[in-house]
Amino acid sequence: MFTSILTALVLYWLFLGQLSTPLLLLFSFSLGLLFLSAHRHTHDSISSVDVLARRSALCRVNPALKVGCSILVLMLCIAAQTTHMPLILTAVLCAVTIGIGRISWHDYLSKFSLPAVFLLLSTLALLWNLVPERGGLLDLPCFGSYLSILPAAQAAARLVLARALGAMSCLFFLSLSTPMPEILAVLRRAHVPSVVIDLAVLIYRYIFLLFETYHQMHSAAQSRLGFSGLRRSLRTTGQLYALLLSNSFRKASACFDAMESRCYEGELRFLTRPKPVLLCHALFAGLLVTGSALMTLLSFF
Amino acid sequence: MSKNEKRLLSLSAVLSAALCVPTAASAMHIMEGYLPPVHCTLWAVICIPFLVAGVMAIRRTLSEQRRALILLAMSGAFIFVISSLKIPSVSGSCSHMTGTGLAAILFNPAITSILGIIVLLFQAILLAHGGLTSLGANTFSMAVAGPLVSWGIWKLGRKMNLNKKVTVFLAAFLGDLFTYCVTSIQLAVANPSAQGGIAASAVKFLGVFAPTQLPLAIIEGILTMLIIIGLETYAKPELRLIGFFREGEAR
Repeated sequence: MFTSILTALVLYWLFLGQLSTPLLLLFSFSLGLLFLSAHRHTHDSISSVDVLARRSALCRVNPALKVGCSILVLMLCIAAQTTHMPLILTAVLCAVTIGIGRISWHDYLSKFSLPAVFLLLSTLALLWNLVPERGGLLDLPCFGSYLSILPAAQAAARLVLARALGAMSCLFFLSLSTPMPEILAVLRRAHVPSVVIDLAVLIYRYIFLLFETYHQMHSAAQSRLGFSGLRRSLRTTGQLYALLLSNSFRKASACFDAMESRCYEGELRFLTRPKPVLLCHALFAGLLVTGSALMTLLSFF
Repeated sequence: MSKNEKRLLSLSAVLSAALCVPTAASAMHIMEGYLPPVHCTLWAVICIPFLVAGVMAIRRTLSEQRRALILLAMSGAFIFVISSLKIPSVSGSCSHMTGTGLAAILFNPAITSILGIIVLLFQAILLAHGGLTSLGANTFSMAVAGPLVSWGIWKLGRKMNLNKKVTVFLAAFLGDLFTYCVTSIQLAVANPSAQGGIAASAVKFLGVFAPTQLPLAIIEGILTMLIIIGLETYAKPELRLIGFFREGEAR
């Protein structure tokens, strides 16, 4: 609800003075409504991203190609000087993720809603400037000077917003098509220190374990009225976290014994299914990267 | 629209915007695509020495005791979990801990930087908190600067023989506040305002995020204190293994 109101407002201020009033109102409200249809974000959505990535039709594409391609395009996107390239990129990658990867619109939008709030708030800070005298598109008197929206600030905010949208769609293209272990395998091949990758792999596996334990402990505490009132809920949360960490420390010990009994000698290896690079995938990636590079180059002139 | 109407509209708009700020669940992650390329590279480069120190510290720890790998991994997973769970808060908003203050107190800032960057990478990809291009900037504010302050205060407090609980609270609280200040400054340097430059912009960003971040820092302090108390009750052997107690203190 708040996200949609915020979206409508920020869009209204962004394009104030550029579009005619009815068109502007229609535009802001329709996009605001779009966000209203999305779910409120949930924080346990980590497993859902994992599931979505594994279900995506793009999961069969070679992971190194996907990682390389999205990082290159990401860099080109944030280097762009005009709003065209990021916006086109957003459209293309949205279409690919949803159309070819077969992720539902609903899931995609609800993933967008959390970063959207941060983005909109920061756009607010970019849009409104404290100036000594009126002269903006909208002026609010504020302690002797004016809070106003200047056309220059509008343009800057539009560019930042467009770049962020493009970059988000790159990130979603990667995260909704490539499961985490495959990304880590790519990083291992890119010669990231093996200690770090081992640690990352183990952390990834334990996250799910800890979440499950936490949920059990949380409902146990909740059913015993552990979360009535702020003081008590703070105490319960603190105790819960401490117990969770000490329990997991104990579990860690058992895990290590299990690993040693299976001949662990300081190196973690997992079987990865080979995913060869297909010609059409390589062609598409090449097209995407060269297209974005050309458009970014053009935006400098 | 007449001038009065316009003013009324904007006033109500600002009012509603101000009202939604507390509900906005923004942990202080800079999002994907928000920083220009030069800044992304610069922050990433600044982080490199800390990360190298981290890799060396972890290798040293593991060569002494291989078992520590699992403890570190569990702590990393724990940081991820608590930083993605809702915690009770004053304004009814949903907010999260950063958890890196706790790691800095338990281990040291070098190891925390590695755990932090892994957790931030997972958050970017799995939760869309933060991003790949802003990974450097986020690592600096959350996994380097904040933990360094927390660790410094914790060490100072122990040396001065302050009350342990108070020290933990202060370390986590100030570390969190420092993270928030650094993030605001990073945002301001990337987007200086037309009048007043970086300083004015920093004040703006600090202002926008203050309503969520100040209470959050206090809560983070209290929770970290409770966690340490709990750990001392339940997990003394493990704490001794990671060298948490001082000489002669652990029995």
